[in-house]
Amino acid sequence: MKSHDLAYTQRDGFSIDYGREAEEEIVRLQEEIKRQSHIENQFPSRWLAIKLLEGDHDIQMRLKELKGGLELLAAAEKSNAHLNKIYGDDVDVIIADHRYGWINGLVREAVKRTRPDRLSKSDKVDRIVTHRLLGIPIFLIAMWVVFKLTADISAHYLDWVDGVIGGPITNWMMSLLGVLGLGGNWVESLFVDGIIAGVGGVLVFVPVMMFLYLALAILEDSGYMARAAFVMDRLMHALGLHGKSFLPMLIGFGCTVPALYATRTLENEKDRILTGLLVPFMSCGARLPVYILFAAIFFPENASGVVFGLYLLGILTAVILGIILKNTLFQGKEQSTFVMELPPYRLPTLRGIWFHMWERTSAFVRKAWTIILATSIILWILMAIPVSGSGSFADTDVSDSAFATANEVFAPVLAPLGFDSWEASSALVTGFVAKEVVVSTMAQVYAVEEVEEEAEATTFFEDIGEIITSFISATGDTLKSLPLIIGIDLFEEEDEAELTDLMLAVRNSFEESSSGHGALASMAFMVFVLIYTPCMVAIAAEKQELGAKWMWFSIIGQLLLAWLMAFVVFQGGKLLGLG
Amino acid sequence: MLTQVLLEIKSAQNGLNLSELSRKLDIDRSALDGMIQFWVRKGRLRDDDADFAAMTSMCSPPSCGGSCAGMAVCPFVAKIPKTYSIPAQKNDRPAE
Repeated sequence: MKSHDLAYTQRDGFSIDYGREAEEEIVRLQEEIKRQSHIENQFPSRWLAIKLLEGDHDIQMRLKELKGGLELLAAAEKSNAHLNKIYGDDVDVIIADHRYGWINGLVREAVKRTRPDRLSKSDKVDRIVTHRLLGIPIFLIAMWVVFKLTADISAHYLDWVDGVIGGPITNWMMSLLGVLGLGGNWVESLFVDGIIAGVGGVLVFVPVMMFLYLALAILEDSGYMARAAFVMDRLMHALGLHGKSFLPMLIGFGCTVPALYATRTLENEKDRILTGLLVPFMSCGARLPVYILFAAIFFPENASGVVFGLYLLGILTAVILGIILKNTLFQGKEQSTFVMELPPYRLPTLRGIWFHMWERTSAFVRKAWTIILATSIILWILMAIPVSGSGSFADTDVSDSAFATANEVFAPVLAPLGFDSWEASSALVTGFVAKEVVVSTMAQVYAVEEVEEEAEATTFFEDIGEIITSFISATGDTLKSLPLIIGIDLFEEEDEAELTDLMLAVRNSFEESSSGHGALASMAFMVFVLIYTPCMVAIAAEKQELGAKWMWFSIIGQLLLAWLMAFVVFQGGKLLGLG
Repeated sequence: MLTQVLLEIKSAQNGLNLSELSRKLDIDRSALDGMIQFWVRKGRLRDDDADFAAMTSMCSPPSCGGSCAGMAVCPFVAKIPKTYSIPAQKNDRPAE
C-alpha cells in the first residue's frame, strides 16, 4: 500500500473527504509543505494544500514572497493539472462540490423539517399562478383589472383636471396677461391656444397614468409581476422565441427607450436585434392617452376593453412577427436557459405603492413640461403662420396655416384608413416627437377651431372653491365607480360623463372623414398609433443598439405594417357592416 | 451536487425558478443560493442584474424629460425578477 493510500484512510480530526484522487494530491502537497518548516508554522498543512488546489489568489500572493513558496506553487500547479485531467473540470469546483455534498448530508441528518414537502405559502400560490395552463389566463385577468382601473375608474379625475385646466387655469392666465397688457394679442394666443392647450391636453391624463402606475406598483410590490414574467418566458419558449426576450419586452410597456437598451442583456446578436425589432410593439405608456381619448369618445361603454384589446394586439403582433422573423431572417440555434429568482409574495405597503406611483407619474409630468411644452410652442408658431387666406400672423384660420398645409400632403395616404383629415395626419406626424404629442396636437388643433363661448366671470376665490368642490365630487364618483371592476354600474344614465369640446371636435372630424364610420376610423387610428414608428428618442436608441440598417428596417416596416393593419380594420370592418 | 445545479439549468427546456430547482434537486434554498453565487464567480453563470446595474447612462436625449441616471433608477423600468443565465460563449461541460 502506498503512503498516499494510507494517508487517505487515516486523517487527523475532522475533515471533509474530497475523493481519493484529490486526497492523494492533498497529501502529496502536505509533504511538500512539511519540507518548508517556516511555511508549515504559519499555515496548517492540510488547509494550505486545499487552498493551493483551489487556486486561492491571496494565498498564492503570500507564498510568492516566502522562501520555498515558488516551489510549492509549482507543485500545486502540477497537482491541479493532474486532477483537471482526471475530473475534466477545475479543482475548486470539485472541492466546492464535495463541501456542499457534505453540508447537505449533515443538514439532512441533523435538521428536522416541519414542512416535509418544502412548499412555502408562496410556492403553493405559485403552483396555480405559474401553472402551465392557468398562468396565462390569470395574467390576462390581472391585466384586464389594471386597464379597468386605468380607463374607467380614473375617468372622473380626468374630467376634473380637464375642467380645472380649461376653466380656472385658463381664466387666471388670461387675467394675468391682461394685467400685464398682453391680453387679446398673439401672446395670449401663444399661452392659451399653444401652451395651455398643448401641455394641458397631456396633463389631463395625469390621473389616468397615476391609476395605471398604482395598479402596476401593487402588482410589482406584491411579487406578482415576477410571476407574470416567468409565465411570459414559458410562452416565448413555446413559440420558439428566446425566453430572455421577455425582460426588454416587459420594460417596453413602460417606455420603449430603456427596453431597447435592455436588449444588451441578450448575448447573441441575432436574438438581440430580433428582440429590439419587436420591443416597439409593446404599447408604451405614452400611447395610453391616445387610446383613452378615442375609447372614451367612440366606445364609452367598453373603454377598458378596447384599451386592453389594443395592448393584446400589440403583444400578438410581436409574437407573430417574431415567429416569422425567427424562421426567416433570424434563424439560429436555441439559446441557453436561465434561472429566475421569484421573490416571496408580500402585502404591498402604502408608502411603497405611493413612492413607485409618484416616481413614474412625475416622469410623465416632467416630460409634459419639457418635450411637450417645446413641441406645443413650435406647433403654435406653425399654426400661426398664414400660408393662404387673408389672415395674418397669429390671426389666421388654422386650415390656412403652414401647419395645416404641410400636413395635407399626408392626408391622401391615410384616406383608405378612414381618417384623411389634416388634423389626424398632423397628430401622427408630431407623434414622432413623443407619442403623448398626438393628444396635445389634437388639443391644440381642435381648440383653435372651437367657437369661443362667453364665460361667466368668476373671482379667484370662487375658482378655488369650484376646484375643491369639483375635486370632492370627482372623488365621490371615483369611489362610486369602483364596483365597475366587477361589472356593477352604480351610475344612473344621466350621471354618465359628457363629452368635452375636444372630444366632440374629434368625433365630428372622424365621422366626417370616414363618411359616418367614425368608430371604425377611430379603431383604425388607434391601431395605427399602436403599430407605427416609435418616438424620436426610441429611434435614436434603435440606431445605437441595432445599427442604422435595422433602424431603417424598423421605421419603414412599422409604418407599412401600421398602414396595412389600420386598412384591414377600417375596410374590413366596413365590409362586415361594423362601426 | 454543485455540478448537478449547473447541469439542471443547462438542460431545462424553459426558464426555471430557484424554488422549483431547490425542490427538484432536494437542496436547501439557502445552499442553492450559495451554489448559484459560486457559479457566477466562476463565470459559468451570468448575473443578469449586473448588466442592468452597469447601464448607468442610457437615454440620450432622455425620454422622460429629465436626466438619465441609468437602468437601475429609470422610472419606466418595471421591477423585473433577478435572473441568472448560461453565458453563450462558455461550452465547458462540468464533470458528471
